[in-house]
Amino acid sequence: MVGYILRRAVVLFLVLLGLAILIFVISRIVPGDPARIALGPLATAAQVAELREEMGLNEPFPVQLWTYLTGLAQGDLGKSLLTSRPVLDDIRAALPATLELVLFTIVIQIAVSIPLGVLAAIYRNTWVDNVLRVASLIGVVTPGFVLAIILQLVAAHYLGFFPVTGRMDPALDFSADVTGLLIVDGVIAGRFDVVLDAVRHLILPSVALAAAGIGQVMRITRTAMIEVASRDFVEASRAYGIPERVVTFRYMLRVASVAPLTILGLEFASLIGNAFIVEFVFSWPGIASYGVRTILQKDLNAVIGVVLVSGVFFVLANLIIDILLGVLDPRHRIREGRDA
Amino acid sequence: MSALLQIEDLSIGFTAYGRHRRVLHSVTMHVNEGERVSLIGQSGSGKTVTMRTIIGTLPMPPGKVEQGRISYAGTSLLDLSTAERNRLKGTGISIVLQDPMLSFNPVLTIGRQMDDIIRYADIRSRRIRSRAERQAHMIDTLRKVRLEDGARVLDSYPMMLSGGMRQRVLIGMALLNKPRLLIADEPGTALDVTTQDEILVLLNTLVAEDGLSLLLITHNLGVVREMADRVYVMERGRIVETGSRDAIFDAPQHAYTSKLMAAVPPLYGARVKTVAHDEAREMVAIQNVTKDFKTRSGWLQRLTGSVRAVSDVSLSVQQGDIFGIAGESGSGKTTLAKMILGLIPPSQGDILLDGRAVSAFAGTREFRKLIQIVYQNPGSSLNPRRTVADQLAVPLKFTGEDKASIVQRISELLDLVELPQAYKSMYPHELSGGQKQRVAIARALSVKPKILVLDEPTSALDVLVQSTVIDLLNRLRAEFELTYVFISHDLSLMRNFCNRVAVMLRGEVVEVGPVGRIFDTPSHPYTRALLSAIPVISPEEEARKPKVTKEERARVLATSTAMEG
Amino acid sequence: MSAVDEADLEHHGLNARQMAFYRFRRNPLAVIGALIVLSVILAAVFAPLLAPSPESAGSFVDFRNRHAPPSWAHPMGTDNVGRDVLSRVIYGYRISLGLVVGVLGVAVPFGVVLGLLAGYFGGWIETIVMRFTDIMLAVPPLAMALAITAVLSPNLINAMIAITLLWWTWHTRLIYRIVKAQMNEDYVEAARVAGATHTHILFRELLPNCISAVAVKVSLDAGFVILFGAALSFLGLGVQPPTPDLGTMVATGSEYMPEMWWQAVMPGLAILYAILGFNLLGDGLRDMLDVEL
Repeated sequence: MVGYILRRAVVLFLVLLGLAILIFVISRIVPGDPARIALGPLATAAQVAELREEMGLNEPFPVQLWTYLTGLAQGDLGKSLLTSRPVLDDIRAALPATLELVLFTIVIQIAVSIPLGVLAAIYRNTWVDNVLRVASLIGVVTPGFVLAIILQLVAAHYLGFFPVTGRMDPALDFSADVTGLLIVDGVIAGRFDVVLDAVRHLILPSVALAAAGIGQVMRITRTAMIEVASRDFVEASRAYGIPERVVTFRYMLRVASVAPLTILGLEFASLIGNAFIVEFVFSWPGIASYGVRTILQKDLNAVIGVVLVSGVFFVLANLIIDILLGVLDPRHRIREGRDA
Repeated sequence: MSALLQIEDLSIGFTAYGRHRRVLHSVTMHVNEGERVSLIGQSGSGKTVTMRTIIGTLPMPPGKVEQGRISYAGTSLLDLSTAERNRLKGTGISIVLQDPMLSFNPVLTIGRQMDDIIRYADIRSRRIRSRAERQAHMIDTLRKVRLEDGARVLDSYPMMLSGGMRQRVLIGMALLNKPRLLIADEPGTALDVTTQDEILVLLNTLVAEDGLSLLLITHNLGVVREMADRVYVMERGRIVETGSRDAIFDAPQHAYTSKLMAAVPPLYGARVKTVAHDEAREMVAIQNVTKDFKTRSGWLQRLTGSVRAVSDVSLSVQQGDIFGIAGESGSGKTTLAKMILGLIPPSQGDILLDGRAVSAFAGTREFRKLIQIVYQNPGSSLNPRRTVADQLAVPLKFTGEDKASIVQRISELLDLVELPQAYKSMYPHELSGGQKQRVAIARALSVKPKILVLDEPTSALDVLVQSTVIDLLNRLRAEFELTYVFISHDLSLMRNFCNRVAVMLRGEVVEVGPVGRIFDTPSHPYTRALLSAIPVISPEEEARKPKVTKEERARVLATSTAMEG
Repeated sequence: MSAVDEADLEHHGLNARQMAFYRFRRNPLAVIGALIVLSVILAAVFAPLLAPSPESAGSFVDFRNRHAPPSWAHPMGTDNVGRDVLSRVIYGYRISLGLVVGVLGVAVPFGVVLGLLAGYFGGWIETIVMRFTDIMLAVPPLAMALAITAVLSPNLINAMIAITLLWWTWHTRLIYRIVKAQMNEDYVEAARVAGATHTHILFRELLPNCISAVAVKVSLDAGFVILFGAALSFLGLGVQPPTPDLGTMVATGSEYMPEMWWQAVMPGLAILYAILGFNLLGDGLRDMLDVEL
């Protein structure tokens, strides 16, 4: 098992390295001068030349790449033109907000989609299944920003319970210093008013963010369960007198959960992508908001940093999923060991 | 003797795609206490539906019991509540499913799966056993199916066991809760014949030791003769004939039964046809051929060693031969065929076709006009998304035929394999298995080759269809003076179809010669073990099979009871 | 189905095509999806004929009529400069479908061919192509598209380029997986024994076995490309005003929420309608052709 995790980690690290190189190459081959793009059409030639020097653009390309990669290895993502601070500091400040949002969303996704998918499979082709299918379809097809706006409109303005923007009521006077996650730090500090407030702020954005994934994962869980139901071992277990509920939840779900978990991992990048929209709509102070702002300002260093950090999260999420799959399905780690 | 299982007037229907169809028609049968009963039928005859209805795993809908009753030990199964019905599962009636790989949950250890089976039966019967007691019971049961290393088996995942061991464990699982009736669906058919034989012997022993009743569902008449006291023959959802084993085998009454019997190739006796061998020009010369496959593993696909698939094989096939290469899985027979076709190069040695080295002209037009292949499974060797005519045209197109002559040749080919011209525009899924194999044969013949490699061309077909395909191959050989290299594990078929046979074991040819000599006086212990393991359909054949002692067998074959590695 | 084996089905007297048609007919959602897609395509093609006020598509201004709620004259109301929202939605479908055709027209053939090559030849082609798609998978697609359009300057063509650059990998992965599975089938080797060239095997033998999956994926994709384009525009990095793009309309309209809700909600629902149609159609095709994605 340890060997399996190590092997997966190495593969994922290589993905990350490839991503770093890819983004850097793209940022340098786009038409036009990055310094000119950053400074805008009104800057003087001297200002552009100065920034070129500062960004190292006069060096040969391989040297630039090397400088950039060695910088990365030391955690140096360069300086943001927008905030004039190191990109890493900006990202570090914004990260907990996004992390809390994304984790909360994933918990909602798993808690809702897998049980409903199983339910749909058990009652397939009945009204239960049809209702669930339509619901999952609506989740999949509703654009995140449309859902976000509708949620804001309905929940916030007509019900008043859910705050429309932000992460925490400023009046609460609390700073999350331990983990940066308000729910966790609130529990640690015993401030349950903070926890409640944080959850209230989280509900709308995470529902907007979770909807598409819920639909997708639910559908895949349903399909996987139905496929597994037709395998011989299910019939054998029934014939040997294993109770139906054990056959469904222990035998079938364990085999069937491989597909939805894999999809959850793969869809993680989309989830972060959608966070760009949702954070923007809900003025959520996370890295996606930061990303949108820096993109609009053509702040290249910051943009590269944000994309890379999202890549790191994708890789970590997939490592966790790989470990889960290895635990759930022995064939995974044995097969990997054979031909990885 | 009272009937343990009694099925009366059972009719089952299915509704699918908006249409309703009856698949079982007034089936009546019974199994007595301690009796071994066989239900014979080809695929689609309804034997699996019957089994599922008995054990209660037939999905309803789409299935529906339209009339009739099933009773077990006097209680009517179809009237029981779900809970009462479940109580009988595994404890009253138990099953052994066909495929020893798919019948296990791949993600749980054997021990876990067996433990669950015991535990839930205990809960139903309000019995309490400790973990250690259950563990001891599992090990006992595994010993019963001749698996001595029980503790290790219990810790294994299904994929870690060999096919024969899995089949044994599967039987063990069925026996855990001491059922009175065991239903076995094609036991051992997915395994090699020597392993199958071990499994059949084991089942017979268990039935005798424990006084079990056995309902065996199979298409293999040889297996039935070894395993049944009484027989039912099913055709298209109807029982067409029933009687004691000897009555059925000695004097079948129904035409279908006789047809089935006649289609089974005999191993010995008056019905055997011996194909003569005449000395002629050498068409295929295999000279000291060895093939090693490199194995790679670890991080960067490092070479970690090699496996010898074919080891120093020399064979000579002459013009007009039907040369059989016999062997079980892993014997290297398919690797040898691929080398003859020039698809993979030998590691050492040479192969000559009609006097020319394969390595010198493989892949050329001349090569393709000399040798072609028919694969085992036409479902896989025909492209599902291309029409029959499209597929027949491929070899012609790439030997430079023009359009008009391709069209002309396709018509000829369909006539040749006795298919109607209208099949040109059909897709493979619109054809039956036998028809598909005819298309595959036509494709192989399209460029008029002199040699055909036949890689188990009938093993995916029902026995009745098999005999028509074999007749076709015989006719074509006579008509076009073809040379066949016939690869198979089915020795009975080879006895009647081939004129010379080579027997392979773990990459080596252990024996080669004319069929008559090999079958009548086999000299190598492996050949003798193979022949003795074949289930045959008459006492005469049984008597003439070589007798092999356990010790003799053990010298050439590992039994399926030992853990590998 | 599990108890009804192949032989059983044969007795129903239906061939695969009839069974597929039966499945489609018995699936009203698929029919609805097809109708929705048809209506969107017709709206886009005949926009000048269908739109009540074609001039609203441009930088037309009618300040007396601004912020008019939905009425018979303006079924979806008017926007902040008095343009008819319905007309702009109809023209908006032109932009959306243009985006779909532009993106998928390039990304699908490119992705399919790479997938075929990687799956069929294996070796270093497989390693390079598939490792590259692995890397692309780790990038949040929206973030990447945003970054590319921002650097290239935001407009419809650049949005199209950015989405195309990200999209082909999905088709490559899909086709690669199918081809890898098909390579275990004997018909590939049979074609080789028959002397077929690589080109023949790739495009005549393997490609036909990928077509159903591609058809389903393209149908589902069409919806997601619309969604993606709208999201870019919503953030101000796609189509620029006054071009009537649905995403831009939602963004502008959301400034007048909640009182003048129709300006954002109507175009939002229009996006949802189109995506729903393509999804229903794709699902229907998936059931009908019996493919797994």
